[in-house]
Amino acid sequence: MPFEPSILMAGLDWPALPQQLINGLMFGAIYALIALGYTMVYGVLRLINFAHGEVFMIGAYVALFLSWQMGFYQSPGGAAPAYATSALPIILMLVLSMVVCAGIGIAIERFAYRPMRNQPRIASLITAIGVSLLLQYGGALVLPVSPPRSIREEVNPYVGQASVDLIKPSAQQLSALDSATKLDKEMATKLADQVKREGVSSEFDLSAEGQKVRNARFDAADALRKAQEDAAKSRYTLAVPKGQLIMFITTVVLMMILRHLVLFTPVGRQMRAVAHDFDSAALMGINVDKIITITFVIGSALAGAGGMMCATFLGTSITTFLGVEWGIKAFVAAVLGGIGNIPGAVLGGLLIGLAENITVWAGFSQYQRAIAFVVLIAVLLFKPGGILGSAKVEKV
Amino acid sequence: MNFWGIRLGSIGVAVAGAILVGLIGHAMGTTAERLIGLAGLYITLAVSLNLINGITGQFSIGHAAFYQVGAYSAGAFAMYVAKTQTYSIPLLLGSIVVGGIAAAIAGFVIGLPSLRLRGDYLAVVTLGFGEILRIIIQNTPELGKSYGMSAPALRSLPLIWLLAFLCIAVCRNLLKTTHGLTFLSVREDEVAASAMGVNVTKVKVAAFVIGSAFAGMAGALLMHLEGFVTPTSFSMDLSFIVLTMVVLGGTGSITGSVLAAITLFLLPELLRDGPTVPLVAVIAVLVFLGIIVGMIKKLIDDHKFSYAALAPKAGIALVAAVVLGFGSSLLPALNGVQVPSANLRMVIFPVVLIVMMLLRPQGIFGHREIGLATFLRKREVSA
Repeated sequence: MPFEPSILMAGLDWPALPQQLINGLMFGAIYALIALGYTMVYGVLRLINFAHGEVFMIGAYVALFLSWQMGFYQSPGGAAPAYATSALPIILMLVLSMVVCAGIGIAIERFAYRPMRNQPRIASLITAIGVSLLLQYGGALVLPVSPPRSIREEVNPYVGQASVDLIKPSAQQLSALDSATKLDKEMATKLADQVKREGVSSEFDLSAEGQKVRNARFDAADALRKAQEDAAKSRYTLAVPKGQLIMFITTVVLMMILRHLVLFTPVGRQMRAVAHDFDSAALMGINVDKIITITFVIGSALAGAGGMMCATFLGTSITTFLGVEWGIKAFVAAVLGGIGNIPGAVLGGLLIGLAENITVWAGFSQYQRAIAFVVLIAVLLFKPGGILGSAKVEKV
Repeated sequence: MNFWGIRLGSIGVAVAGAILVGLIGHAMGTTAERLIGLAGLYITLAVSLNLINGITGQFSIGHAAFYQVGAYSAGAFAMYVAKTQTYSIPLLLGSIVVGGIAAAIAGFVIGLPSLRLRGDYLAVVTLGFGEILRIIIQNTPELGKSYGMSAPALRSLPLIWLLAFLCIAVCRNLLKTTHGLTFLSVREDEVAASAMGVNVTKVKVAAFVIGSAFAGMAGALLMHLEGFVTPTSFSMDLSFIVLTMVVLGGTGSITGSVLAAITLFLLPELLRDGPTVPLVAVIAVLVFLGIIVGMIKKLIDDHKFSYAALAPKAGIALVAAVVLGFGSSLLPALNGVQVPSANLRMVIFPVVLIVMMLLRPQGIFGHREIGLATFLRKREVSA
């Protein structure tokens, strides 16, 4: 691709930047939600749980099945059930996804990771990769791929936008816009009349009179476009899809619950003790197995919530390979913030979301998938432990 | 035999072996020829990753990146430098050299962060380099974007297997020298190694450069073997599969890597043409395997392993599997689903992986090697 300096200088759509930043935060919140699972498991077990993205995928599937069960699939085009517009189905889907994913998380830990606990770390890593592949391809045998029509329109009553006008166009610009619209319509009718009167069916085969009208119509369209651009430049609206707003708020609430749990409850204290020193915690009478199970429950439930919200509010089409991309980005977010560090995961998730949206905004949307890794490598080269993590000094 | 006699002899054996493999492959027909060629490439990949991962202990999981660099630079060499559409031996050799050098440069660049990063952080960075590279190639028109790039095709099994033998020989001879010991010392304990005067920087970067150069040469041969590659051929899955070969064979064991590479590459390929089976049977088999593995593991852990103790338990497992298999057929979603085994292969692959890790986490051979010495050595009398 030839390098064009204009892309970096003048081509940027500066007024669109705040909108993109908000979108970035919305996506970043989901990354952060998934990253929390990675970071908690890593903090306690020192294990990269590669199957975490697949737990996220299962959360999306649970939401899909539940929405079908509630009758949203059976009535395509027809009237949705009365309760579709209430918040109840969404809350039900969220809770059930979290519960099922927590169960999956327990099963994975119990049957795949616990037997490996005393083995070298690479063995549990390979097991994690194995579980991840098994869930992807095994799921592909059994689970349906979601139809192109996602569950979004039918379950999600919050499709609209919540928008705020920061600066409105001036009255003068609005009136210019109005008159341009009127002129454009007028010319279009005149042209149509002309076509009818001359008795020809094509707009291109016209008399000199018609030619004049047609030129005037193009001029009017130009004027309209210019007026629209003027108005758009001064209009400064921030729009957020309501679904994403719900997603963001849910994420923040879940994170606050998690923070309370980890910092102020006995379970959280035990969890931190296990994360700090596995053996000493066991010696102090902490049931390490129980704490690890709880860690998996919390992490997987958060991933399930993420999967449900991604399927419902973003309308992503659901396949069993859905977890690969989201999982890897969330994992990058966890490492970026310093893996094992809970505020770090949130910060990393938000940063990745922002970086991706800024890349799209700057016109490099084809590199959107790569930017997470670019940011990661750039940060790790200067701060090898992640942003909030600390690089450990190894002793002999 | 003197020193050079042994060297020349082994070179002769390697060349003869490579030509023999080529003749056998040619005799077996086109499909088998291609499979044997790919198997040779996988051996090169697994052994070269073993040098980085198993022998030097640098946790790299982005080996597909080097393979890709090799393939694309060989393709670009053929298309833009040599500007030829037809195959010739000089072109092929030139491609291999170009692919190897390009991948070695990439290995140098990726090896540098390993000086600051270790463990999981290094793993993520190597994975990330692979992804970045793939996306850049996907967006470069000169390299064919996502549609792929073609090069003059050539099926040269002897060359592929000669490269595999060369890779094995380099790694094996490295381990027999003092240099090899420095590689091992970095794996065992970096801090202690540097305290003993080992230049850790040099060793780490050298491992990355040598390993990636071999992967790059393999990539160049792949490009000319297939005549066409796309970026999707070098996804994360490929890196994981090569890593699996290394771990399954035993990290640090070259013969282990070779055996695991052949097995793990051929296993899914052989399953591809298998018959269609009911999903219920698959579930029953998985349940059976799961229970059996759990029992073997428990028996090993209790130090009471004997086949006699296993037999009644296997019976219980069989009954449980049959019951659960039929039970799952009662679920409407699973009833009557038929699965072609082409889809099944990527399920069996991870199951083998998990079972292997549960039963023998150090890999098939652990750190040991199988060679002539294994068979010629006298058995030591156990106390």
